[in-house]
Amino acid sequence: MKLKNNFALKLLAGVVFVMAALSVIVSIIGYYLFTRSIVHQYSNSAWNTARTAAIYVVPGLVVNPRYDVREWQARSNMVHREWQRLANTQNASLIYVFRAYGENYQDIEFFTNVAGPNFPSEVFPDGYKIQQKDQRYLHAFKKIYEEGQERVEIEVYRAPSPEFPSGNHITVMIPFKDNMTGEILAIIAVEREMEELDNVRHGYLRHVLATTAILLVFVIFLYGLYLKRNLIAPIRKIAGEALRFAYENKKPDIPLQSEIKTQDEVGQLALTIDTMESDILNYVENLTRVTKEKEQIKAELNVATQIQADMLPRKFPPFPERNEFEIYASMNPAKEVGGDFYDFFFIDPDHLALVIADVSGKGVPAALFMVISKTLIKNRAQMGGTPAEILHDVNNQLCEGNEADLFVTVWLGILEISTGHLISANAGHEYPALKRVGGKFEIVKAKHSPAVATMEGIKFKNAELDLGPGDLLYVYTDGVAEATNSQEELYGTDRMIEDLNKNLDADPEELLINMKREVDNFTGDAPQFDDITMLGIKISLHNS
Amino acid sequence: MLINKTANADELTIALDGRLDTSTAPQLEAEVNSSLAGVKKFVIDMDKLVYVSSAGLRVLLKAQKIMNKQGSMTIKNVSAEIKEIFEVTGFDELLNIE
Repeated sequence: MKLKNNFALKLLAGVVFVMAALSVIVSIIGYYLFTRSIVHQYSNSAWNTARTAAIYVVPGLVVNPRYDVREWQARSNMVHREWQRLANTQNASLIYVFRAYGENYQDIEFFTNVAGPNFPSEVFPDGYKIQQKDQRYLHAFKKIYEEGQERVEIEVYRAPSPEFPSGNHITVMIPFKDNMTGEILAIIAVEREMEELDNVRHGYLRHVLATTAILLVFVIFLYGLYLKRNLIAPIRKIAGEALRFAYENKKPDIPLQSEIKTQDEVGQLALTIDTMESDILNYVENLTRVTKEKEQIKAELNVATQIQADMLPRKFPPFPERNEFEIYASMNPAKEVGGDFYDFFFIDPDHLALVIADVSGKGVPAALFMVISKTLIKNRAQMGGTPAEILHDVNNQLCEGNEADLFVTVWLGILEISTGHLISANAGHEYPALKRVGGKFEIVKAKHSPAVATMEGIKFKNAELDLGPGDLLYVYTDGVAEATNSQEELYGTDRMIEDLNKNLDADPEELLINMKREVDNFTGDAPQFDDITMLGIKISLHNS
Repeated sequence: MLINKTANADELTIALDGRLDTSTAPQLEAEVNSSLAGVKKFVIDMDKLVYVSSAGLRVLLKAQKIMNKQGSMTIKNVSAEIKEIFEVTGFDELLNIE
């Protein structure tokens, strides 16, 4: 799979952005502090020059009107000479003394002006007057005259032009006071070109930027290497392994934990992935095995269902050569294997045995018990005797070693075909229903005995009944009478009798199919826990 | 189904409430397997029991067989419906019903 977004790049981009922003901020702060420091040096230099210049100034020089022109001229010439030297040695571009007066101090009278060697234009002649409009200057004058400040600076940053030939410069002004009265007589100003400022500042900026850029590249390179080794490479490995596992579902050749041994989250992730993979593999293996076993059990149960079904006579009509009666039976187990069974067989050509039975309990144990019970009953019945005698013996045999405490309710009847005489024994089973020819179904109650395999030595009782031509006997298990619908209502024998009587002309096969349908309609979607087993026998009308 | 146990020396009374069928019989069977040791008189009170299926009968039979060896078992307060079930299945002859 091709990754559209590389998370290493994202991490790096973030770091680069933060570092670049940081260096810009640091550069700006550095640039400002650096500029202030240089300007401060120029300012100090100009201030020192101004203080030296003040030594030569006397009150007579800065008064107007000039009382003694000759003396004033001599003093002025001396000041000129000394200031010129000062300007030359101190690199001052202008040294001048003036007074400001009038409204807002905008009227200026220059007393003496000296230009330094670098000053690019002419200076004003002594006594020259101008009007100052520049607010910065007016503000500075006010500070000196009104606020009594001893040192005022004006910084001017500009590129030199024909109108203003000086470039960046600083002007420092100090007051000149009368020694006796302290009155401010004039202001001495020194203008100093800051010719080096731009060069130094630009140099600083270039150096800082270059250094930052180199450092940035270096840091990115190192950080990239670090990320790759400690984060990207292991995570790529983990991602690759997860991808491989998703497709192959096989154990890795080399587990992640032997390649990534760090104790951090990445190491933990590697360990977790390893554990998860082996857990998944174990789980899948288990599931496969269990499923296989389940499949096998299911297959075996299917075979068991088949065997159980095969044990019951299912070919109808079972005795095509006998036309004295019609018989039909069915069994529908609730689970794969059931505990119900029916049976019918000839003991001798004139005696037909009929069995319907229900083993308590469900599933495989009940099915096994059913097999034993059915076999014992058939074998014992074929040895002769009344149903009560047969059940007595079968009961005693089943009670031996019946640790599971299963029991089986049995209705066993033996019909003498030639006479229609039926002897039956009921071991805890449902009462049969009988329809006399031309009549309706009714429950036939006879004395019950306990179910077979409950207690040793039970005496069972025989009941006798005579069946005539057209009579139909219906026996069933509790799966019919106790079928339950979703409202937990029992189907019950009353409803059963009612449904049996819906079609009085039905032969046993039709009757049983109808009854199964009626029970299914009653229960609807409610799950059934009991097998449904029925047997019907009808004495043929021409049997006489 | 609810099972309410009252033990008094070597007497044990179990009151059943609900349906004793395929799904609840194992509860009673577990109780029978674990609680009957040393009990001389075992009483099952069916006052609030509404139904007994063959799976339930099997457990009652099992308890009866155990109590036959070590004392007596009595079933009391049986409703008409359950009494009919006992009669139809012949269990009224095996169990001691008051």
